[in-house]
Amino acid sequence: MYAFQYRKAKSVDDAVSALAADADAKVLGGGQSLVAALKLRLAQPSALVDLGTIGDLRYIKVGAAEVTIGAMTTHATVAASPELKKAIPALADLAGDIGDRQVRNMGTCGGSIANNDPAADYPAACQGLVATIITNKRRIAADDFFKGLYETALEAGEIITAVSFPIPKRAAYMKFKNPASRFALVGVFVAETSAGPRVAVTGAGPGVFRVKDMEQALARKFAPESVAAIKVPADDLNSDMHAQADYRAHLITVMAKRAVEKALK
Amino acid sequence: MAVKVSMTVNGKAVSHEVEERTLLVNYIRETLKLTGTHVGCDTAQCGACTVHMNGKAIKSCNIVAMQAEGANITTIEGVAKADGTLHPMQQAFKEHHGLQCGFCTPGMVMSAIDLVKNFPNPTEAQIREQLEGNLCRCTGYHNIVKAIKAASADKNVTVVGG
Amino acid sequence: MSHDAFHGRLEDDRMVTGSGTYTLDWDFPDTAHAWFVRADRAHAEIVSIDASAALAHPGVIAVLTGADLEAAGFKSLPVITMPLKPDAMKPLMPFRPCLATGKVRLAGEAVACVIAETQRIAMDASELVVVEYNELQPVVDSLDALKPGAPQLHDDVPGNLYWDYEDGDRAGTDALFARAAKIVKHDLYNHRVVGHPMEPRCCTGVYDAAKDQYFLYSPTQGPRMQASMVAKVLDVPTDKVDVVAKDTGGGFGIRSAPYPEYCVTLLASKKLGRPVRWNGTRSEVFLTDNQARDFICHGELALDDKGKFLAMRFFIVANNGAYLAPTGLLAQTRSVTSCITGVYDVPVSHARIQLVATNTAQVSAYRGAGRPIMSMLLECLVERAAIDLNMDVVEIRRKNLIRNDQYPYKLVNGTTYDCGDFEGVLDDALKAADWNGFDKRRAESARRGKLRGRALSTYIESTAAGGIPDDAQLLFEADGTISLKSSSHSHGQGHETSFAQVVAGVLGVPMNIVKLRTGEAGMRVGGGGTGGSRSMVSFGSSYLLGAREVVKKGREFAAKELEASPDDIEFDHGEYSIKGTDRRISLMDLAKKYKGSAGEPHPLNSVGSGKWGMTFPNGAHIAEVEIDAETGVTEIVSYIAVDDIGNVITHALVEGQMQGGLTQGAGQILGEHAIYDRDTGQLLTGSFMDYPMPRAGMVAGLEVLDHPVPTKLNPLGAKGVGEAGCTGALPTLANAIVDALRPVGVTHFDMPATPQRVWQAIQAAKAGNPRALQTYTLEYA
Repeated sequence: MYAFQYRKAKSVDDAVSALAADADAKVLGGGQSLVAALKLRLAQPSALVDLGTIGDLRYIKVGAAEVTIGAMTTHATVAASPELKKAIPALADLAGDIGDRQVRNMGTCGGSIANNDPAADYPAACQGLVATIITNKRRIAADDFFKGLYETALEAGEIITAVSFPIPKRAAYMKFKNPASRFALVGVFVAETSAGPRVAVTGAGPGVFRVKDMEQALARKFAPESVAAIKVPADDLNSDMHAQADYRAHLITVMAKRAVEKALK
Repeated sequence: MAVKVSMTVNGKAVSHEVEERTLLVNYIRETLKLTGTHVGCDTAQCGACTVHMNGKAIKSCNIVAMQAEGANITTIEGVAKADGTLHPMQQAFKEHHGLQCGFCTPGMVMSAIDLVKNFPNPTEAQIREQLEGNLCRCTGYHNIVKAIKAASADKNVTVVGG
Repeated sequence: MSHDAFHGRLEDDRMVTGSGTYTLDWDFPDTAHAWFVRADRAHAEIVSIDASAALAHPGVIAVLTGADLEAAGFKSLPVITMPLKPDAMKPLMPFRPCLATGKVRLAGEAVACVIAETQRIAMDASELVVVEYNELQPVVDSLDALKPGAPQLHDDVPGNLYWDYEDGDRAGTDALFARAAKIVKHDLYNHRVVGHPMEPRCCTGVYDAAKDQYFLYSPTQGPRMQASMVAKVLDVPTDKVDVVAKDTGGGFGIRSAPYPEYCVTLLASKKLGRPVRWNGTRSEVFLTDNQARDFICHGELALDDKGKFLAMRFFIVANNGAYLAPTGLLAQTRSVTSCITGVYDVPVSHARIQLVATNTAQVSAYRGAGRPIMSMLLECLVERAAIDLNMDVVEIRRKNLIRNDQYPYKLVNGTTYDCGDFEGVLDDALKAADWNGFDKRRAESARRGKLRGRALSTYIESTAAGGIPDDAQLLFEADGTISLKSSSHSHGQGHETSFAQVVAGVLGVPMNIVKLRTGEAGMRVGGGGTGGSRSMVSFGSSYLLGAREVVKKGREFAAKELEASPDDIEFDHGEYSIKGTDRRISLMDLAKKYKGSAGEPHPLNSVGSGKWGMTFPNGAHIAEVEIDAETGVTEIVSYIAVDDIGNVITHALVEGQMQGGLTQGAGQILGEHAIYDRDTGQLLTGSFMDYPMPRAGMVAGLEVLDHPVPTKLNPLGAKGVGEAGCTGALPTLANAIVDALRPVGVTHFDMPATPQRVWQAIQAAKAGNPRALQTYTLEYA
C-alpha cells in the first residue's frame, strides 16, 4: 500500500466535506474491494474517508412495496434478514453468495454498487429489480446509474446512502462463478416486476446490462423456454482465459433459463 | 504519518500509534506480537488471517487497523479457555486430524466457529460451501469438514475464550 | 494404532491455538527488512541498474545487486546430479545467480534487493530503483524453444536443451515393436501447476560475526540439506550454515531447496550486522517458486494379438524453465522413469526425455515428482489401447499385471519391485466401487441431464531411497524426556507424532515424553530431508533400530539393578523383569538411576541408522464424475482409492496424506494451470484470482482403503505414502472425464477440465472435431 491519510467520518455530511476538501480522497465502505486494490498498489488515494462508524447507514427497511437497504449494511446482514428473505428472497440469496463468508461480514451494499466491478453481483440486482440508488444529493434510477467498467453516475463528493428495491412478483439470480476468483463469470438476475420482466446480466460485459430480447419474450410468457433459444451476441462481451466471449454468451442463455426456472419454484 | 488506534484484543484493551496504512493483520502480528494469525496470500482469498471482529469472522489482511478502532477483536490466541482447555472447535480439529502443516489452521478454526454460529448443525454440503473463504493445501479439506460437523454438536461451540 | 485410538497429534495443541512457530514468527531485535526488485519482463539484457534514488529514500539502508553478490564470491544455486552411464549426455547446468547479472530470464526474477528499516519503506523504495533493459524475445513453450532460430536463454545451453536423457533399451524395444500385432499411440500434455504451500516463501538471515556463522530461518523440508546448498552458494563450509526452523507451512517438494532470496538476506545480514527479514508474498510464490509438471508426452504400446503387452516406448519433452531447480534434473528424468512400465509385466521399454530451457519459472519436484507424469501417460495409454482394441478396461489391465509369483520383479531399467499384490488391490477397488453397477448410475445421471464417466487406474511409484545413512538419535534428557533428533523436517506429515509412536511403541513409554527435535541451531545429525515420501520408511526405520538398541543397552543396567544375568532379563511394556519373577524396574527409572557422570552423554543414548532402499507403494483408484454438458462443469461424485502402502503406522495420518494428495491431483485435473503468455512471457495466472485452488467443495465422497503388503526392505514393513494419492489421482480423474465425454463424441481431451475447456471440447466434437482440446502431438524419436 502507498501511504494515505485516514479520516473516520462522523456523518454523511462530515464525509462529504472531507471529500470536498481533498479531490484524491476515496470513500471507504467495508473496504473489501478497495483495501484489496490498495494492497496490490493498484490505487493511490491521498486519503480514505471511512463510513464504517456511521450507524444510521446500516439498516434494512421492508415496506409494503419496496425494501430500502442502508448503504453500509453488510452482505451478511442482507443475507440473514428474515424480513428481506420473505420480501425478496432472490436478493437475500444474492447477498449470501457474494465473495465468501468473511468478506460478506465486512463488504457493504453501497460499497459494491459504488465500485461497480464488472463482475459484482449487486448491479445485476439493481437493474433486475428496477432499483433506485439514493445519494446525499439525489435519487438515481439503476438504469442510469451504472456506466460501464467501474464507472457510475456518482459525481465527485457524492455518497450513496441507501438503495431502494421495489418488491417484485418473483425473481431469482443465477451465478456461474469464475473457477478461481469466485466472482461472477456470468450472473443473470431475472425478475417479474411491476415495470415488466427484467433480465440483468453481470460478469459478461464491461458492466451490467439488460437483455431486452429476453425481457420481451418473458413478457409474453414468463417461462424458461421463452429465453432458452435467445442468444446474446458475443461481440461486446468480455473475453479472457476463463471464458471467451462465445462461452460467456452461451452461459447467459443457460443462466437466464435456470434463473427463470428458479424464480418460478 | 501516524494515527492512534485502540481496540480490545482477546479481552485486553490495546492502543498504539500506527501508520495509517497498517493492515489489521500487521497490527496483530507485528505490534501485538500475536503470531497465530497468518498471512497466506495477498488477494484476500486464503483466509489464514481470519479473526473475529465484534463476533464476526473477517479477513484481517483486508481491512486497515483503523477500521477496527473501538472494536472487539478475537484472534486464535483468545479462543481457548484461560486455563488452556481447548475450544470445542480446536479440539475437533485435533481429534479428526483436520490439520497437517497447521498454517491455515488458525484461520480455519476462526472461520469454522463463525460458520457454526450462522449455520447451526450444518450439513456436509453447507460446510463445504461455507468454507469457500479458506484455503488448505494439505488436508484436501475432508477431515476439516468432519471436524466442523463434529464440533457443531457441542453446545459451547459458539462461545470463545472464558 | 487403530483409527479409533487416534486423539490427535502431539504437534496439534500448539497449531490449533496459534502457538506454532512458522518462519516469520521468529522475532529478532533490530531486524532490517528486505524487498526485491523483480524483472517486469521475461527476457532482457540488463543495461544498467540505478539505485541512487532508492538509496536516498528515508529509511533505506542498502541496495544490493548482482554485482555485490559477485564481489562477495557467490556461486551458482546448486543442482542435484546423479550417476550417469559413460556414454550418456552430460546435463548442461548454467549458472543460476541469486540476483540477475547480465540478463533476466523470467518475469519476476530478482534483480536487486532493497533493505530498509521497515518492509513498507523497502517496498516504497523498490519502485525508485531504475533498471534499464534491452528487451529480448521470450520463449515459454518447450517445443518452440527447441526450434531452430528460437531465442536462446543461456550461452552455454545450445538449442535450449539442458539434457537429453535416455532410459531402458531402445534397440530391444524397437525390435519388439517391429513384430507387434498392434501398436497403440497416445499423446498428452501434463500441464504446468504451482505447488502453493500455504506459507509463502520467506526468511530471516542472521549472520553472527563473533562465530562467523550464518543462521537462516526459512521454511524447509530438511535443514541440513538446505544448509549444504546455501553453503555452496556462499562458498563456505557446510558447517558454517545453520538452517533453523520449527514449523513449516507446507512443502510438497518445493520447500526442500533454498531460494535466491535466502542467500541474499544472509549476505545482507553480514554486511549490515543486523538480522534481515524477507516477508515474501503469494504473488512472488506464483512468479518464482519452483513450479511443477509441464511435460509434453508421447507413449507407444506394442501388444500381441491377444492383448498382452510386449513393449513400451516414450518420448517426453519437459519444460524445465529458465534455470535448473535443485531437483530439476532428478525429478524430471529418473523419477519419471523409475517405475516406467507400472504394475504391468512388460519385458522391455525405452524412454527419452528432453529437458528444455524456456523463459518460465524453474520446475522442480512437486508431490509425486515425475511419477505422476509416468502414471498418467501410462494409464491413459492403456486406456487408449482398451478402446482401440475394443477390450474391457479392467481385463486389459488384469491380463497384464505382474503376478505375485514374479517377485522380485526387475524392470529393464534396473528398478526391482520387491513385493505387491496388484490383482488383490484391483479386486478390492472394483468391489468397493461397485464396478458392475455403473450402467445403472450412468442412466440415472442421464435422467438428470448429466454425463457420467468413470475410470479405473493403477499406479505404482518408487519412494526415495537413502543416498546417505539416515541417522536417528535417541537422547535421554535430565528432565525425564527422550529427545529424538534427525534431519528430516515435518511440513505437515506429523513426524513428532509418528516417530514418537515408533519409539514409544518399542520402549513402552508414554508418547508425550518423546520429543522430536529437527530444525535447531547447531544440530548436526546425518541423513537426508523429507521428500520423495521417504521419512517414515527411512527415519521411522532408523528410530525403530535406535529404540531396539536402547532396550539392549538397558538390559545390562537392569541386570545389574536386579542382580541377575542379562540372559534372564525380559523387557515388556517398558519394564525389565527377571523371567518368572515379579522383580522388575521400568526403563525410565533405570534411566534416572544410571544417568552416567555429569557432562557425559547418558549411557542409554542410542543411534539407529541405515540406508533404506526404495519402496513401491501402489494402488488401484476408481473415480466417477458427472459433467453438466450445458455449462461444462465437472463434479467428482465418487472416488475410491485402494492402496498398498505396506504396514500402516498411524492410520489417521496415512489417510490424511492420501486425502491431501488426491485433492492436489484433483486440483490439477479440474483447473489449476500456470499459463504464460506466448508473446510476452508474462505469467497470466499470477494470483488466486486467476489460479483456481481446490476449495472445500471440490472433492466429496472420497474413500481411502488399505490393502497392505508389508515390504521386507525396512524393519517397519512400511512403504511411502506422501505422494501416492497424487500419483493415482491424475490418470484416474483424467480417464474418467474422457469416459464421460466419449458419448458426445470427444475422443481426446487434455487437462485441465475447466468448465470452458470441457464446453469447448463438446462444441468442437459436435462440429466434427473430436480432438480439439489436444494440445500437442509428438513422434517417437
